[in-house]
Amino acid sequence: MFKSLTRAINIAARLTNKTATASSTRALEPLVTSALCPPNSASSRPFTRSIWMMCNNGASSGYRPSLLTPKGVLPSVSCGCGGLHTEGDKAFAEFLSDEIKEEKKIQKSKTLPKMSGGWELELNGTEAKLIRSISGDRVTVTFNINNSIPPNMEEEPEQGQKSAENEPEIVSTPNFVVEVIKQSAKHALVFDCHFPEDEIAHGEGEEESDIFAIREVSFQPEGDAEWKETSYTLNTDSLDWALYDHLMDFLADRGVDNTFADELIELSTALEHQEYIKFLEELSGFIKCN
Amino acid sequence: MGVLLRNLQNVVPLRRARLRKDVETLRHILGIQKFDLGLICVDNARIQRINNVYRKKNVPTDVLSFPFYEDLRPGKLPCSMHRDDFNLGDIFLGVEYIMQQCQQTDQDFNGTLTVVTAHGICHLLGYRHDTAEEWNEMLRKESYILSEFNRLTGSHLEPLTKKCTRDV
Repeated sequence: MFKSLTRAINIAARLTNKTATASSTRALEPLVTSALCPPNSASSRPFTRSIWMMCNNGASSGYRPSLLTPKGVLPSVSCGCGGLHTEGDKAFAEFLSDEIKEEKKIQKSKTLPKMSGGWELELNGTEAKLIRSISGDRVTVTFNINNSIPPNMEEEPEQGQKSAENEPEIVSTPNFVVEVIKQSAKHALVFDCHFPEDEIAHGEGEEESDIFAIREVSFQPEGDAEWKETSYTLNTDSLDWALYDHLMDFLADRGVDNTFADELIELSTALEHQEYIKFLEELSGFIKCN
Repeated sequence: MGVLLRNLQNVVPLRRARLRKDVETLRHILGIQKFDLGLICVDNARIQRINNVYRKKNVPTDVLSFPFYEDLRPGKLPCSMHRDDFNLGDIFLGVEYIMQQCQQTDQDFNGTLTVVTAHGICHLLGYRHDTAEEWNEMLRKESYILSEFNRLTGSHLEPLTKKCTRDV
C-alpha cells in the first residue's frame, strides 16, 4: 500500500513539470492533496496555529517566558552535525528505509539490460548515450530519464481491488535524439524522436500510432557543440509522408527501428528505477545526516 | 489525402518507402487517389486478437479489411460530398504471418505484401468472396489490378484469390 501510494505521489510530483491531462490530474488529486499539502489540511491546522501562538510575543499575547523558546515546540534529536533533527525526520527516515527495501525487491536486475546490435552505453547521471558505428557512419542515441514516465491514463481500480498485482507497471518512454555522423560530412544529421502517447497507454483499444516517431530533423554541429537554432528544422507534422517513410527507413538501416525502440524502453525503465532507488538512498542519508 | 501507414510490430523489418510506393501504384491503377486509406502492419499476436474479436476466428491471418463504406456495390466508388467521407477504411496486414508464408513457399515478401494489399483494397471497395460468383468477380478485379501493376513495374505478381481457399 505504501509503495503504491508513494509511487503514485512520486509520479504526481514528477508530473508537475509536465503538462498532464485533466483526467490524470484529477485521478491523482486526492493523493497529492493529502500527502503534499499538510499546511492546508484540517488536521494540521491546530498544530501550525499553536506554534504561532506560542512564539508570538506581541503586546496582545502577553509575556510567557516558559513557552517562548522553540526548543519546547520542535522535538529535536541531536547527532552532533549541528543541523535540525525532528521526530518527523526520524519517521521520514524509517519510511524511506521501508520504501527502499520495497523498491529493491521489485527491481528486476541490478544490471541494466543490454541493447542488441552492438550498441555501447555511456552514462552520465540521468543521461544515457548509445553509440554504434556501422560501415563508416557513427550513430549516437541520447536520452534522459528525467520526466520520462508518461501520465497513467488508466482509471484507478475499485477500492478493495488494489494490490501489488494490479498496480500499473511504470514504464519510461523518453524522447530521444539520434545523431548520424558521416565521415565525409561537416554536420551531423539529427533526428528528434519520441514515443507517441496512445501507443504507450494501456488501453484495450487498438492503438494505431507507430512505436516511435520522428518529430524533427535538422543538421547540427557534431558532438556536444551548442545546438544551432539557426539551422533549418524539418517538422514532420506537415511532412510529405513518402519523405517521412524514407527518413524512417534511413534510421532502420542504421539500427534505429521498432526492435531498438522497444529495447530502449526496457533500458530506460531499468535506468529510471535504478536512479529512483539511488535518489531515495541519498534522500535517506540527507535526512539522517549520514 | 493519402495512405496512412503504421508499423506496430518489431518482428519483420519493413521497408516503409517501398510499401508506400507500391500501394500508391495500386491506388493509381484503381483511380482511388482522392480517398484516404489506412495500412496498419501488425504481428501474429495482434492480428489474431483482431481476427478473434471481429470474426470469431482465434488464429493469425494475413489481412483484415475494415471498410469505411460497408455496403458498397463492388466496383462502384462512393459518391462522397464531404471531405471527411473521402475515406475507404483500414487494412490490417499480418506481416509476420505473411513473412512465414513466404518463407514456406519461397516467395518474395515485398511482392506478396503488394498482392495481399491489393486483396485488402478490393474488400474496401465492396468485393467479397462468400459465393462462387463473388469469388470470380473478385478474382477478375485482382487479376486486372495486378496485371496493370506488373505492366507498370515489371513485376510478376498473381492474385491472392487464386491461391486461397474459400474460407479466407
